[in-house]
Amino acid sequence: MNFLTKFPIFPGFLFCLGLYVAILPMGSTRSSLFDFFTPESKPETDIIDLEGFSHIPVLRGGRVKPMDSVARNTLLVLRNKRTALDESGTKIPAIEWFAKVLFNPEEADKLKTFVVDHDQVLGLLNRKFAEDGKFYSYNDLEPFLEQIDQSARESGKLEREKQDSFDQNIIDLYRSLILYRKLKHTLSPPAPPSDSEMIADLGIEDLFFNPETDPDLISEYQRFRDLTQAISKDADSIRMGSNEFAKVVFMLDHYSRANLWSEFFPVPPEPEDTKKKWRKVGESLVGEEPLDSQEKRNLDPVQFSSLLRELVLTEPNELKKKIDFIYETEKMNPSALFAAQYAEAIKLRREVDPILQSYEDLRTSFLDNDPVRFNSAVASIRNACEERAPDQVGKIIFEKTYNEYEPFYRSSLAYIIIFVSACLSWLCLASDSAKFNSKHATSFRNVAYQLTLIILLAHTFGLLGRMYIEGRPPVTNLYSSALFIGWGAVLLCWFTEKYLRLGIASAMGAVVGCGSLVIAHNLSLDSSLNPTGDTMEMMRAVLDSNFWLATHVVTVTIGYSTTFLAGFLGIAYVIHYLLFQVTTSPNSNGKLSSLLSSSRKQVEKTLGSMIFGITCFSLFFSLIGTVLGGIWADQSWGRFWGWDAKENGALLIVIWNAIILHARWSGVARIRGISTLAIFGNVVTSWSWFGTNMLGVGLHSYGFMDKAFNPLMSFIVSQVVLIALAYTVPILFRRPSIKTG
Amino acid sequence: MCANSRKNKSPFSLGVRKKAFPWLVPLSSVRLTLVLLSLSMVLIFVATLEQVRIGIRGAQAEYFESFFGIWYYPTEFWGGSFLNFIPLPIPGGYLLGGLLILNLIAAFITRFQMTYKKMGIQIIHLGIILLLIGQMVTQAIQVESRMQINKGETSNYLERFHGVELVFTDITDASESKVVAIPEEMLEVGRTLNTPKFPLKVRVKSFGPNCNFDLKESGENRGNITAGVDRGVGVSSNLSITPIEEDFSAEGVNFSYAVFELLDKSESLGTWTAVAHPAGNSRWESIHPKLAGLSFQPIRYDGRLWGMELRAKREYLPFSIELLGIENEFYQGTDIPHNFESHINLNLESGQKRKALVYMNTPLRHAGKTFYQYQMNKAADYSVFQVIRNPSWLVPYIACILVSIGLLWQFSFHLISFLRKQAKAAPAV
Repeated sequence: MNFLTKFPIFPGFLFCLGLYVAILPMGSTRSSLFDFFTPESKPETDIIDLEGFSHIPVLRGGRVKPMDSVARNTLLVLRNKRTALDESGTKIPAIEWFAKVLFNPEEADKLKTFVVDHDQVLGLLNRKFAEDGKFYSYNDLEPFLEQIDQSARESGKLEREKQDSFDQNIIDLYRSLILYRKLKHTLSPPAPPSDSEMIADLGIEDLFFNPETDPDLISEYQRFRDLTQAISKDADSIRMGSNEFAKVVFMLDHYSRANLWSEFFPVPPEPEDTKKKWRKVGESLVGEEPLDSQEKRNLDPVQFSSLLRELVLTEPNELKKKIDFIYETEKMNPSALFAAQYAEAIKLRREVDPILQSYEDLRTSFLDNDPVRFNSAVASIRNACEERAPDQVGKIIFEKTYNEYEPFYRSSLAYIIIFVSACLSWLCLASDSAKFNSKHATSFRNVAYQLTLIILLAHTFGLLGRMYIEGRPPVTNLYSSALFIGWGAVLLCWFTEKYLRLGIASAMGAVVGCGSLVIAHNLSLDSSLNPTGDTMEMMRAVLDSNFWLATHVVTVTIGYSTTFLAGFLGIAYVIHYLLFQVTTSPNSNGKLSSLLSSSRKQVEKTLGSMIFGITCFSLFFSLIGTVLGGIWADQSWGRFWGWDAKENGALLIVIWNAIILHARWSGVARIRGISTLAIFGNVVTSWSWFGTNMLGVGLHSYGFMDKAFNPLMSFIVSQVVLIALAYTVPILFRRPSIKTG
Repeated sequence: MCANSRKNKSPFSLGVRKKAFPWLVPLSSVRLTLVLLSLSMVLIFVATLEQVRIGIRGAQAEYFESFFGIWYYPTEFWGGSFLNFIPLPIPGGYLLGGLLILNLIAAFITRFQMTYKKMGIQIIHLGIILLLIGQMVTQAIQVESRMQINKGETSNYLERFHGVELVFTDITDASESKVVAIPEEMLEVGRTLNTPKFPLKVRVKSFGPNCNFDLKESGENRGNITAGVDRGVGVSSNLSITPIEEDFSAEGVNFSYAVFELLDKSESLGTWTAVAHPAGNSRWESIHPKLAGLSFQPIRYDGRLWGMELRAKREYLPFSIELLGIENEFYQGTDIPHNFESHINLNLESGQKRKALVYMNTPLRHAGKTFYQYQMNKAADYSVFQVIRNPSWLVPYIACILVSIGLLWQFSFHLISFLRKQAKAAPAV
């Protein structure tokens, strides 16, 4: 009974909805919070275990991650979504799409993988957005490959600042096509051109994979190994003009080229490799190319073949040392460098890595729809990775579950519920019916407050999850700064609401929280900021310092976050103030106006002190953060302050916060004054956060983001309009009352 | 009441101070602070925008290291074609910084109460004064140079990033070379220079901080600047020079040039061209073999052999650095650098050797100079350090500590009083 009166039905429903969104599985977001604590279930034997497949660790973008992350991140680049579509346009899980791309390219080519939403690019493809939509399959695009290629090349010649939206979209599409092709060939090297004269001359047609006689590609790799073993026993045939040698060279080149068409590294470090390098399929067969393949043109054939012969005649242990010596001392000599690589491929790489066999088993069993073989191949690959890279695979299962839980997507939805709840509480206050009264208002307010705490936990969990996977402090790039700004603002709002239960802090927290997550999502789609689709990219050397990331970057970001919060509270004040001005003008009357006038004093006072208090925080964090940044700069570049665009942006925030506080202390600005000043703080902060990056100058320019230009400008204009309204509306609406008086 | 009257009698009380310095009262006003801070925002914003046009160094010289700068509204912006022609004076860094320091000091004397409760405010502002003064001192005295070392070699001099010198090196004795350097400030066109260490007079015919150069076919016209050149590389390569403006941007490369005549008493020995390569004159060979001589143009005089070149200003050190090895690693499968690292031997003045590592975020500090890992070329096996001498480098650290203490002090006071009020307002929940 007590519970029911405390929890009227509608606020209760909102609360449950928020809780559901925060924790439980929904739609394509298949994991719940509980999945993090349940162990991986055993695969069923009668279906293909894509779940297990998605847990296979591979290296991409410098980081070992589950296959699932690669699938989702590449889809984010190709389709701007983390899910895939089938032929008919129905959603399918990313991993299902990925398995088809890797193992059954013909089927994959039919899936709607690419997003094309630019009118002129669609025009190039002879399509219309209204009729054909924006998602296309590779088969849809294939007839236009040549035109896409030509246009993209033409656009690529322009400087980045001069490219228009067509140029950027066609380049993005071109890159997407390349990425897709690389994915298709990562596990199976592209077949050599069937009409190659070279192959016919050398008589090596039957070295290559023959679908009629060979069970899988391993037969081809094995024939290549036989060839290299034969030549390593007969080193005399290593000379220009020898047919055997020419065959080896051709095949070596073929596999080296295959490395270029490979998107990630599926082969875990070889047991004897001291550098613990992951490898591509081609690298597993012939080693890594020491230089760009283009350098082969500058090779001296006589020096190359005689050195190679000498190396092949050396004992394996001795050879390893010699190869290392060449790599160290002959950096400018392509003949020696390539001879070293070829010697490694011929003499040191004797066996086909068993993991390649497992990957081939995956492919053939997937095509035959044979769950038993598929699932055992998945198990053997995962075992091999655990054996060969035990310290790199520990976070794989967590990351997979984390991907599926999508904490930030959930939080952004739940923030909307909080905002709705807070708005409903005000509506209840303003309404005079018996159904909705101040009691309901209180419960809506409390629901907003309690939900804020719960969603904050989900948001925090999201940040902690990233920190655990990356092993880094929360803010490492522009994307994570957006996540963190939202988090900081919501946290402060929750505390404010705890003491001042007006619903205002909850509502503004929800706006900032949801807004920053939407911004983060859009940042993750930006191809210049996030070319691989992975928001957990590696840190470049100068940023690779957890100490400074944890101190400078985090404090500065908190400074951004609190300045925004003060600005949004300023907006709340101005809206309240404007409502008051409009409703109390002589022409209007009613409940709202009397309510506003009765609450006016209190709201003004509390909002004023909230803005003031939060600005104190902002000044503290932005000043300390900026000075810490100076000290970091002194440590790594040798100057405390360099007038770099981003540094200047941070300084502007510091000065602006100081201006607000001094204006208030000296009595120059009162409540309306500091509210509008705080709103202008939004302009200053957004300039510092994004505007400085758009200049494309300085050390902090992480990428030229022209896509963000229009949103930024509209935001700035909206803030300026609000400030202008705060000063003009009172004049407009008071005039008649003066006349009548 | 009693405490108040006692305070007023103290020689440091606010009233006494105000009376002692009445002329400081208007200078200490908060409104002045607000105006100055707002103008600083304008300055910083404009100077940041201007970096796109004139580079960081240009904006620094025009706006931050000056009393005022003139700004023209960019033509690229909305309405720029109409507004561009209006010159807008922007108050510069020295003006605003100086006034802010005055304003703060005046406030210290005539406005700040020296009480326990307001202690935080004083500490914060003291820190800010230190920060401002520190930055102005740094801008005035900090010197930036570079030091490039090839693997296995040793170097004992720094090169300035900006500024060149015309150098005459006497290499007659293989064991000991004598260097006479004329800094660019003295290379005024038309001036004749005479130093006791160098037997000849140098008459400067032309000098500029940046140029385009071109090798003309023999017999082709060289153009005005180098028309009178009759000796050295300028003749053998038929070098033509077109002066251009100095490029202040971060990526800007500036080829300084000088055309000069050497005189024995009043008799001319000929006119030479010298051009400085921004990455060191040894790079000329890779541009064109005919220009290799720009790193050493010989002249024999009075039985001695001198080499002439125009090069980046150098500073010789009492110690030297040997580059033992470099490491440059990338994250696998990416072009994101993971580590730049130089292994060095520091050969001290005392003859002692010390091994050291210089890498990102970990510079080498020695003899008042700091060596930072700056550039690296793995294929050509060399490493470049940025070298900075900044005696005031500790100031921002002290200022930072002061400001943090002050802010914490002040906000703790506010927070505690706020929480107390809350506790009183809502005694039981």
